[in-house]
Amino acid sequence: MASSRILFVVSILLCSFAMHSCYASELFSNLKKSILVTSSAKHGQVLKSGEANITVTWSFNKTFPAGADSTYKTVKVKLCYAPISQKDRGWRKTKDELKKDRTCQHKIVKRKYEASKNSVTWTIERDIPKATYFVRVYVFNAEDKEVAYGQTTNTAKKTNLFEVEAITGRHASLDIASVCFSVFSIVSLAGFFYLEKRKGSSQQK
Amino acid sequence: MGDTEGSPGSSMHGVTGREPVLAFAVASPIVPTDTTAKFDLPVDSEHKAKVFKLFSFANPHMRTFHLSWISFFTCFVSTFAAAPLVPIIRDNLNLTKGDIGNAGVASVSGSIFSRLVMGAVCDLLGPRYGCAFVIMLTAPTVFCMSFVSSASGYIAVRFMIGFSLATFVTCQYWMSTMFNSKIIGLVNGTAAGWGNMGGGATQLIMPILFEVIQKFGATPFTAWRIAFFIPGWLHVIMGIMVLTLGQDLPDGNLGALQKTGEVSKDKFSKVLWYAATNYRTWVFVLLYGYSMGVELSTDNVIAEYFFDRFDLKLHTAGIIAATFGMANFVARPFGGYISDLAARRFGMRGRLWTLWILQTMGGVFCILLGASKSLPIAVAMMIIFSVGAQAACGATFGIIPFISRRSLGIISGMTGAGGNFGSGLTQLLFFTSSQFSTGTGLSYMGIMIVCCTLPVTLVHFPQWGSMFLPATKDVVKGSEEHYYTSEWTEEEMKKGMHQGSVRFAENSRSERGRRIASIPTPPNVTPNHV
Repeated sequence: MASSRILFVVSILLCSFAMHSCYASELFSNLKKSILVTSSAKHGQVLKSGEANITVTWSFNKTFPAGADSTYKTVKVKLCYAPISQKDRGWRKTKDELKKDRTCQHKIVKRKYEASKNSVTWTIERDIPKATYFVRVYVFNAEDKEVAYGQTTNTAKKTNLFEVEAITGRHASLDIASVCFSVFSIVSLAGFFYLEKRKGSSQQK
Repeated sequence: MGDTEGSPGSSMHGVTGREPVLAFAVASPIVPTDTTAKFDLPVDSEHKAKVFKLFSFANPHMRTFHLSWISFFTCFVSTFAAAPLVPIIRDNLNLTKGDIGNAGVASVSGSIFSRLVMGAVCDLLGPRYGCAFVIMLTAPTVFCMSFVSSASGYIAVRFMIGFSLATFVTCQYWMSTMFNSKIIGLVNGTAAGWGNMGGGATQLIMPILFEVIQKFGATPFTAWRIAFFIPGWLHVIMGIMVLTLGQDLPDGNLGALQKTGEVSKDKFSKVLWYAATNYRTWVFVLLYGYSMGVELSTDNVIAEYFFDRFDLKLHTAGIIAATFGMANFVARPFGGYISDLAARRFGMRGRLWTLWILQTMGGVFCILLGASKSLPIAVAMMIIFSVGAQAACGATFGIIPFISRRSLGIISGMTGAGGNFGSGLTQLLFFTSSQFSTGTGLSYMGIMIVCCTLPVTLVHFPQWGSMFLPATKDVVKGSEEHYYTSEWTEEEMKKGMHQGSVRFAENSRSERGRRIASIPTPPNVTPNHV
């Protein structure tokens, strides 16, 4: 029918105008949860950044049909924010569209995919902020698109959450330098003021 | 017209309606040059410069100009230094959106109070010490950023750094001691605009410093703290330069000179009364909150907005955010200039329409900025929004001098405070809650700008008219003299205190636009010559 052809053409045109969003950006809900992931961190454990480490183990879930992992090529292990650390922080928001999703902002490791047991021991880096986390593993195909995932916590993201105690970023040397310059500023101001007042009054004599 | 040069009524300035209120130089018959004075620039009888020579550093006038605007610029840099680094700071200090918003409000609130106090300080200690005190006493607060480890500490330090914006007052005050009142409009406008640029420059400077410091091996959470040392050092350096190279008055420093009794001090309570009871003051207090105020709010949120919404790198977001503030370099003087242009033809009505058009345009493009879904469109909308808002700031101060002659200082101060108050309010309403995103907040702010600009339609001058109403036909009420002398009581007029207002009223006839030729002689006006 002519009208259905017109509709088809219009939808192609609309699709091409809305370039990016139409290019089948992966949705999280479309991913298969076919990877089993565990980590050495217990629920509620506090890890110090820069010192403590975490061991993540992942493997293909054998309950899935045998050929399901034929497209799996690479794997990225990421540190992700738990809901409590996303509250009132829109820059960590969870979105279904993976391109816009900000849940997992810190990469632990990138590896080639292997079905059998993989593990990595990672020291919490010093730029990881203080928050509550879980670990998620994303699997990518040859076109570098997400196809599957696995995570240490449940779907509601309530179990197996651990905390990271971050560095403050403060240093004794910085504190001392800060005090020195502040004192210099106040003393030089007071000094100028006093000297000029004295010069003024001695001139008047 | 007077016989002697310089006597009241002899001024030709403004009579043809073609001379702009803001000018680069004052020609000699209008303000006589003091030929006995040995300065680099031609000066008047008070030794204030009659010429504004931008690229000169000659002592004392132009040197003061440069010391003054650079000090103000430095304070803007440090007040908004945190803004482009918020993506790092929010992770280091575990901030929520509410904390970030509150810190933004705090950063502009401190100066409401400090600006009011600074006027008195300038009167007592002179603008040189006023400037040096503020800039050197707030230097420790900038260095304090290295100690901050919680949201409350962050908010407190930003509040204290915000006090440094009182340098706006020292800047304007110092300019008025050094430059003749006929060119003071342009001088002050340029100084204010270039100082405001600091809010843009900091969005460039801080991310670059941060990345350089990181390259030297510091972790992000330490690098941003180190970066704050640079604005701190700038405070100290500028403070020392102001103290050693600056002077209060063209002839020397306040402490060394005898204060001449020439300045007849008006009573503060009277000046405040006439400012507060003039409804136009309050209209402009509100309006400036939605031109300057939204500019300050945007300085605080725009880098983070681009960083989050378009996934840019920190320094890329900084570059884009910087173009917003840097537009002040031309946009603010441009606003003053087209206000003058409109006044040549349409008088004060032209100025009011210009202000309304510029500020509303800013509001509309703010709405569009928040709604932009692609980066190039967002940048384009932001640039037009910045020009609209900043030109509106310039246009506002093209009108303020005419609201009152007696209370000009206080009205300028109140307007300035209104700007900061508007900024605090918009940040509180639109950028502190998690209910909606920053983009939505920007659009809502744009709507509020359009609504809060409407009151300019209410501003009516009997002698010149308003946006929709013409000047009154009444010959007495429709004269400039009537308007400006109504601020003085009979007693005060008997003492001759109102002479300045009468001279001003004459000069202000240019605000009639092209109708100058048809001025009837107003009856019952106090005679100009005694």
